[in-house]
Amino acid sequence: MKLIKLKRTFTEGLDNFYRNGWLSFATVSVLAISLYIISITIVLGVTANIILKNIQDKINVSVYFNSDVEENIILDIKSKLVGYQEIKSIDYVSKDQALEQFKKLGNNNPSILQALDEIGDNPLLSSLVIKAKTPDQYDIITSAIGNSSFAQDISRIDFEENKSAIQRLTSIIKLVEKVGFTLGIVFVFIGIMITFNAIRLTMYAHKQEFEIMRLVGASNIYIRMPFVFEGIFYGVASAFLVMIFLYITSKFLAPITQGSISGGDIVSFYFSNFFIIFGSLLLSGVALGTLSGIIAIRRYLKV
Amino acid sequence: MLKFENVSKIYPGDFVALEDIDIAIKKGEFVSIVGHSGSGKSTFLKLVYAEEQPTTGTVYFNERPLSAINRKHLPFYRRNIGTVFQDFKLLPKKTAYENVAYALEVSDGMMDEIKELVPEILDIVGMGNKMEKYPHQLSGGEQQKVCLARALVCKPLVIIADEPTGNLDPTSTWEIIQLLVKINSMGTTVLLASHNKGIVDKLNRRVIELEKGKLIRDNAKGKYDSNGKEKIATDEKRKQTV
Repeated sequence: MKLIKLKRTFTEGLDNFYRNGWLSFATVSVLAISLYIISITIVLGVTANIILKNIQDKINVSVYFNSDVEENIILDIKSKLVGYQEIKSIDYVSKDQALEQFKKLGNNNPSILQALDEIGDNPLLSSLVIKAKTPDQYDIITSAIGNSSFAQDISRIDFEENKSAIQRLTSIIKLVEKVGFTLGIVFVFIGIMITFNAIRLTMYAHKQEFEIMRLVGASNIYIRMPFVFEGIFYGVASAFLVMIFLYITSKFLAPITQGSISGGDIVSFYFSNFFIIFGSLLLSGVALGTLSGIIAIRRYLKV
Repeated sequence: MLKFENVSKIYPGDFVALEDIDIAIKKGEFVSIVGHSGSGKSTFLKLVYAEEQPTTGTVYFNERPLSAINRKHLPFYRRNIGTVFQDFKLLPKKTAYENVAYALEVSDGMMDEIKELVPEILDIVGMGNKMEKYPHQLSGGEQQKVCLARALVCKPLVIIADEPTGNLDPTSTWEIIQLLVKINSMGTTVLLASHNKGIVDKLNRRVIELEKGKLIRDNAKGKYDSNGKEKIATDEKRKQTV
């Protein structure tokens, strides 16, 4: 009997969804817009985070050693620095490697090569390229290195030149995270409120039908369940719509995000996370549609 | 079958819709309820199908007080009562067949039963050839017939008809009334609230008159209007019988 009731209420919900054409379209549209706002906020937030982290990853500090410092000493210093908890990675760049990199940067420019030939010796210094776990830790690291036992072996640390840029970037990252999080909460709340009120209006449009159903002796299950299923259909339909909107948006934003995200741009991000995004939208849409319907219908279920 | 014992209904704002109603209705009776607009006819009927609860007093159905019925069991109680209204109250997105079938579905009727009974009932009310029509495709009289079919399909003990012919032309009006009489002849109790003097007089059945919420007349075989002397005498006689 329960299976029969479920089947009947499911069929009723499906019939309602199709037969109330324009009402269903309006509700799905509103739900889709809300989900789109929420998902755009989240996707932009995630993308901004990825872009900022990529930029962050490019920040580093180079510690240049005096030309007379042996390689084994530098490597010994490196092994000591690896123990610092603020340090994410350290790479050793020998003089020869530095020269190769310099030549590559200059695109093997003949004038630069000629100038190097005239100097004779490799003028470049060996260095340790250090990456911190977070940008605000470079100060601590460079300070510790400057006061260490091997400070006299150090020719220069290039942190000071980039300090203000790094600090500005750190502030931007923190601001974006804070603002993004706050905006995200606000948009999610707005999205939920819009959906809830749209579905309340839909329920209001069905007000007379609830009255009729009660009069013919329909129990709350027979009244409520079709609208629960209708809420599910709204959620599914809007999830599909939003996936289309998101694809269009990502195509629009692709040129701006080209190269900022590992793997390409925001379109590649969309496709590589397709099932996660769609699954989340489906879940959110169905939850929002169904819960709003259940709450909105309660006032009409008084017997 | 139905009994009102000192029933009063007072709405917020101290509006007295019904006052000290004492009446009993037997199984199989056809009762016309008459009175001016605002006299309390609809409130009386709402108390029967438990859309409203009395402020004081008790309404009994088959000797069971309606106030004892748990709210979640009220839908089961209402399946004993078929209702027909002036504004039809058909589900607009369902065909005539589906509207009637709905009443059986919510009573947990089996599919075979529904497939057999619904066309039969629609045939009885003369709507057998319009089962697939939606309410907006039917005339007023046809819609009311579908409502009657829906009211009948669960084989109720009581049919409540609140101004069922209010929006209908004379021909349709008599068709509906004849159907109600036919239903009553098969043993179903019928409560008909009506402004239509012609119908009530022609029916010549029991008439209850309400005025400003009070029961002022109860004639075993009455007319829509009655003289003053008859009112009081019949009231006393009626009370003794109850």
